[in-house]
Amino acid sequence: MPSVDHILIVDDDPDICNLVSRFFEKNGFRVTSVADGKGLWAVLNREPVDLLVLDLILPDEDGLTLCRNLRASSNLPVIILSSRGEDLDRIIGLEMGADDYLPKPFHPRELLARVRSVLRRTRDPQPTEKINGTEENVVYHFAGWTLDIPTRQLYSPQKEKVFLSGSEFALLRIFLNFPNQVLSREQLLEYSYAKESEPFDRTIDMQVSRLRRRLREDSRTPELIKTVRGLGYVLSARVEKSEGSS
Amino acid sequence: MNREQSGPLLVHVDASLAEIVPSYLENRRKDLTLLADMLQKGDFEPMRVLGHRMKGSGGGYGFVHISDIGRRMEQAALQTNTTELLACIAELTAYLDQIEVVYTETALS
Repeated sequence: MPSVDHILIVDDDPDICNLVSRFFEKNGFRVTSVADGKGLWAVLNREPVDLLVLDLILPDEDGLTLCRNLRASSNLPVIILSSRGEDLDRIIGLEMGADDYLPKPFHPRELLARVRSVLRRTRDPQPTEKINGTEENVVYHFAGWTLDIPTRQLYSPQKEKVFLSGSEFALLRIFLNFPNQVLSREQLLEYSYAKESEPFDRTIDMQVSRLRRRLREDSRTPELIKTVRGLGYVLSARVEKSEGSS
Repeated sequence: MNREQSGPLLVHVDASLAEIVPSYLENRRKDLTLLADMLQKGDFEPMRVLGHRMKGSGGGYGFVHISDIGRRMEQAALQTNTTELLACIAELTAYLDQIEVVYTETALS
């Protein structure tokens, strides 16, 4: 029997929780809803969750803080659902590690499409695998860093674990497949599947910015992921592959 | 909102929401009672919260106009604008009295 994806929605408006729960359950998901950050951590400590739908304005804790704290210890896919729909709010939400952002009021069908897209993007093999063959068991080494594909874990040159969101992992993997080659925003969008869920290619700029921070790059003078004005981005590093342990 | 006063105002709503739409509209009718009470007490913050929630939820259920009223209500409560709040309450009352929900398979508001 196939497993049912478990969606956790955190929103203090019961009408929103009811709407999302009913609509997603009718579409084959299991849904748990809670009203605040305390409820969020209680559910995450109790049972596995496949994706989090998170409101920003909550009674006990700001949703952005929750998102950032969650990212420090998990790569659980997060979609922010908020009435704060200004460009700046979206940017901050994505910068805090969210995989997508949908402003309220929203159509439940659009939320459903975005949830499916994020789950697909964070789970499915990337097109680069299809180009280069199956890479399920590969470990990449670059500039002292290590990306272990089987565990989806990034290690710093000091051997510290660095957590990546699903979209950051996907983006880094693309760069590692095409080292020292300029990749346009369109190529990055296509390879990362982001085109399906993000209507503007500035999203790639934001994701690159986040990834640079994960790689502890100085945003003014990045050494690893360089901007090629008018063309796109290039990973400037020698990349080696080894076989993973799993 | 410009409309004829004679007939019902038809609102097309996604059929998959048929089970929860009646309770959503009932909650908005309860909001009207709460809002009248809050306005009388000059209690603007809970009115702002109610407006904010209506803004966020209305369109999702297929009632874009409730989102519009909620947005105006939120702003009016922030500005303690009693006149605008009264207008919003009157408009929501009229809207809830006049709408007739039509469930359709592919309604996209």
